[in-house]
Amino acid sequence: MEIARNILYGLSVVVQPVNLLWLTFGCIMGSIVGMLPGIGPATGIALLLPMTFVLKPAAALIMMCAIYYGAMFGGSRCSILLNIPGDASSVVSCFDGYPMTLKGQAEAALAISALASFIGQMAAALAAMVAALPITRFALRFGPPEYFTLMVCALAATTSLAQDSLLKGFISLMLGLMITTIGIDLQSGVQRFVFGIPELQMGIEFVVVIIGLYAVTEILENYKTLSSTGDTPMQTKFGRIWVSKEQWRRSIGPILRQTPIGFLIGILPGTGGTIATMMAYNNEKQISKHPEEFGKGAIEGLAAPEAANNSCSIGAILPMITLGVPGSGTAAIMLGALMIAGLQPGPLLFQHHPEIAWGIIASMFVGAIVCLIVNLPLAGLLVRLLAIPPRIMYPLILAISFLGVYTAGFSTVDLYLLTIFGLLGYFMRKHEIPSAPLILAVVIGSPLEQSFRQSLMLSDGSLRIFARSGISVTLLALAVGSVVFPFASAWLRKRRQQPTAVSH
Amino acid sequence: MRQLLRLSHRACRIIGYFDPGGAKMSGDFTVGALAVLIGVAYSVQALRLPRAMIGNPWAPTYFPLGIGVIMTILGAALCLRNLHRRKPAEQAENQATQAHDKPAVDKEFPRLALCTIGLCILYAMIFSRLGFIVSTLLFLGAMLFLVNGKRGWLANILVSVVFTFGTWLTFERLLMIHLP
Repeated sequence: MEIARNILYGLSVVVQPVNLLWLTFGCIMGSIVGMLPGIGPATGIALLLPMTFVLKPAAALIMMCAIYYGAMFGGSRCSILLNIPGDASSVVSCFDGYPMTLKGQAEAALAISALASFIGQMAAALAAMVAALPITRFALRFGPPEYFTLMVCALAATTSLAQDSLLKGFISLMLGLMITTIGIDLQSGVQRFVFGIPELQMGIEFVVVIIGLYAVTEILENYKTLSSTGDTPMQTKFGRIWVSKEQWRRSIGPILRQTPIGFLIGILPGTGGTIATMMAYNNEKQISKHPEEFGKGAIEGLAAPEAANNSCSIGAILPMITLGVPGSGTAAIMLGALMIAGLQPGPLLFQHHPEIAWGIIASMFVGAIVCLIVNLPLAGLLVRLLAIPPRIMYPLILAISFLGVYTAGFSTVDLYLLTIFGLLGYFMRKHEIPSAPLILAVVIGSPLEQSFRQSLMLSDGSLRIFARSGISVTLLALAVGSVVFPFASAWLRKRRQQPTAVSH
Repeated sequence: MRQLLRLSHRACRIIGYFDPGGAKMSGDFTVGALAVLIGVAYSVQALRLPRAMIGNPWAPTYFPLGIGVIMTILGAALCLRNLHRRKPAEQAENQATQAHDKPAVDKEFPRLALCTIGLCILYAMIFSRLGFIVSTLLFLGAMLFLVNGKRGWLANILVSVVFTFGTWLTFERLLMIHLP
């Protein structure tokens, strides 16, 4: 009953004309940026983030979420039509989406991708709605030590899972934490690492870091293949975008099976859409009666990862709003957006700002409906944008990046910083240093330090406070486990393989 | 000396278990060395931070110092990891897969990237001096001529003018945000 009351309250916030307008606008913009080749959801959200600064917190957050949903819906367009994934999680959509286009079934592919995304998001939103209150109730018991260990756990898991090199992931993490220590220390008023530049006293705006690291880096990276992109001819004329009964019958099973899996993967820190879509695809391929059709335009092979991708993205928002701890780079950007609006996500958000907390959850449902409308009847219109030559697109994106960064802080120093972070991102990409840990650290670095110091104040400087409660011990164990486990198992396997290897 | 070498070899192997991907790239030693450099410089700076006037005078120092020290250790571990190269066969295989994974890089890439960075810095320099309209017209125009080439001159000029005035009007009139 309580849930029904809350969600109705959330809905009443979302359907206010102003909010609904921004939600629709966000869904359209999100679908467009998600669609553009080489610009993934994270980059798209980063680019559009400054637009939300002028809005009231509730409208800003709803629009932010709408951009996110839209980007998730639109992400697969380019995979289906051009065989170019917009981001890592839509790589899988290329496998069967593009062959479908080649077979002349582009309409069905676009339709099933929108429908699967819709069902995935709706189901996941239901789950998020039910799970939100119990999680926040539990989290209300958290004090500074528990928060500190929770954040350590999220950072450790994000850095270690799904990363190639643990060391480089942690180097990226430390770099992010270093960036957050720049500026005036909130607890003591001491200036740290300001280097005599007055603009740095307020710290580095996280918008600057993400736009630099995502948008600017992305453009530099895309320059490498500039001469070959835009060569693929694209289908621009479409019939009615819909699926046949037969195609629907084949897809509904995979969609319903892979949605819960995507949701659970989304909740876990460190595992994002890439893993969810890969797993969904492989699962369906294994249980399919016609595994040989996969990769040759099987509609199930497109429907399953699309559903998983959207339910995963909803899953990723859940720990972000209920605990205030993001589990992925994109969720970290959303968290940053909340903090810019002057809100502290976490269990207290549900008590102090229920209109925003429940508004976000209700926006998942409404956003799914709006995105479906945007991506089904209007899909043929929107994908025309894919025909804009990248040679004109990239300079424009760069100009938008500068504009966004300037309006975020009204400081020219930020423009230099943007260039520096773009270069840093390029250097990191070149040396295969993951950027997600850095982004995550930049967003939660400051609360991490604050909770650490608050805990030490509570305990008079004794580190034992982090081992006092069962929750924090469990979280610390999880953090250590997530780092050690993958490598311990690899080590054991190696050991078993060469039992006679004698140490010299 | 030999003992030291053996010790480092063993340390390298242990790190290897924890970081199987760490020795993929030839530039990883540089990354490690840079991390050590940053870590040490940052730690030294952290120690030189002013003390807090209230509460524990060292309170603002602990956290940065910890980060700096961990960074140094991580960098050192990455260096060590790459000190003793893996078996040549394995390495060749790694490089082969790498070459396979990465698409060929355009010839014009270095020129484009360098000019873009240069233009970005110039833009930052002239932004508040010349104002939004003039600087954006110049920046976007230059970027478009750089990336799109001289042949698309009409499109270049049109796009820069429309974008510049379009955003200026949106921000100044609709959103009431003042641009210089």
